[in-house]
Amino acid sequence: MKKSISNKIKLGIFISLGVLVFIFGIYFVGERQQLFRGTFRISGIFRDVAGLQVGSNVRFSGIDVGTVNNISIVSDTSVRVDVLIEESTRIFIKKDALASIGSEGLMGNKILIINPGTGGKREIENNDIVGTVQPINMDDIMLSLKKTIDNSSNITSNLSSITGNIQSGKGTIGRLLMDHSLAQNFDSSIVNLKQGLFGLKNLMDDTKISFANNFDSTFVNLKEGSEGFKLLMKKAKSSWLLWGF
Amino acid sequence: MENINLKPSSNDDPGDVIIPEIFEDKITHSVINNFFVEVTSLTIFTLRFFKELFKPPYEFNELMKQSFLIGYRSLPLVAITGFIIGLVLTIQSRPTLAKFGAESWLPAMVAVSIIREIVPVITALIFAGKVGSGIGAEIASLNVTEQIDAMQVSCTNPFKYLVVTRVLSATFMLPVLVVFADIIGLLGSFVGVNIKGNVSPYLFFSQIFQTLEFIDMFPAFIKTFFFGFAIGIIGCYKGYTSFKGTEGVGKAANSSVVFGSLMVFIIDMIAVQITSFFQN
Repeated sequence: MKKSISNKIKLGIFISLGVLVFIFGIYFVGERQQLFRGTFRISGIFRDVAGLQVGSNVRFSGIDVGTVNNISIVSDTSVRVDVLIEESTRIFIKKDALASIGSEGLMGNKILIINPGTGGKREIENNDIVGTVQPINMDDIMLSLKKTIDNSSNITSNLSSITGNIQSGKGTIGRLLMDHSLAQNFDSSIVNLKQGLFGLKNLMDDTKISFANNFDSTFVNLKEGSEGFKLLMKKAKSSWLLWGF
Repeated sequence: MENINLKPSSNDDPGDVIIPEIFEDKITHSVINNFFVEVTSLTIFTLRFFKELFKPPYEFNELMKQSFLIGYRSLPLVAITGFIIGLVLTIQSRPTLAKFGAESWLPAMVAVSIIREIVPVITALIFAGKVGSGIGAEIASLNVTEQIDAMQVSCTNPFKYLVVTRVLSATFMLPVLVVFADIIGLLGSFVGVNIKGNVSPYLFFSQIFQTLEFIDMFPAFIKTFFFGFAIGIIGCYKGYTSFKGTEGVGKAANSSVVFGSLMVFIIDMIAVQITSFFQN
């Protein structure tokens, strides 16, 4: 009889503990989904939710503050996303807050990111609709990447053709780099130029000497001329023919 | 008179036992017939269980005793299994996650695997091995020694006393055992994570509860009731319908484990289909 009671007590503890553990599990999971906290609801309209799911986290300043509550298609170009956010964060989220879709790391789940908005605005209210930033579609990135790759391919192909032409001596640069006669001509031009400059120098030297000599004799003649003219003027002054002037 | 062909064909292995074609047909028919007979008998047995379940008098004392034996007594075995599952799964998963630099995902990944699938199924299989065989052998031995007949004579409903109590105990004790195995499995995983790393218990459990959702917990929990019911009802059925003789006891215990384990997998497959239907 005693043993039977002891067994019943053990069984009672066993079942109670099991149920308690299960309830704790539910509580902790529910806590994460804001089932036991005050929340408010806001919504955003997206063109494409990029794989966001009901239950995905809502992040504000890097902290998980809520979860996506509902996703519904409004029209062929718009999807409405309803989120539940902790009441305590409401004071930080303003009327002009923006919602965007991001991801947790490179391979992580999609999350909804709330940008708080400007400080001067009023705080957001329950059931408000916030502005959204359309997510960058992976397909668009791939399309753009494909264009870039095509362009790169064309550029490398052109470069290859240009280097081929240069190597075979075609075109101005090719001839400049690959034609040996041009270099020889250039050499002989330099030699000629050098010789020409040397001749010019000699000519200039000769010219300078003769010019200096001529200049000296010109000055001597001029001096002699002016002395003669002075004498002539003196004689003229003393002549009776020019009296009265 | 039918002409029976006893001559082996040229493709037959000389070591094979030659079975005449006419007997082959009969054996095939007999296996199929036996299968359907068994299904029908089990269905009738299950319907009788539900009929007896709600009809007074209720055997509360026997129900408590069986719950103690089936549930409480199975806890050490289930706990050890759960701990080892958590530990081994963590150690085995670490190198693969480390290749992607995603070791921080280890607690979350192991927790989802443990709670969703591995612990419920492994615990159910252990339960089928321990409890299913026990129920099958016990009832079969009562059958063999004609104690069931004696019960009927002494105005005790043997079905209510033996079957209803055991099936109910199995149905309600397995989920409790699975909850314990989940927690102990997570503790094993925590030890596994800390063998090569250094993660605080708070961070470990915080990461787990950040990842877990109700869709991970409830279907896994609900299906364990079905596992327990299937193991209990098959054990009781095999014991209750065992043929007389000691051979019948062994066969009842054996087939209780085999069919109980098979039913666990079948129920699990159906549960996964239903869960994924609701998830999508």
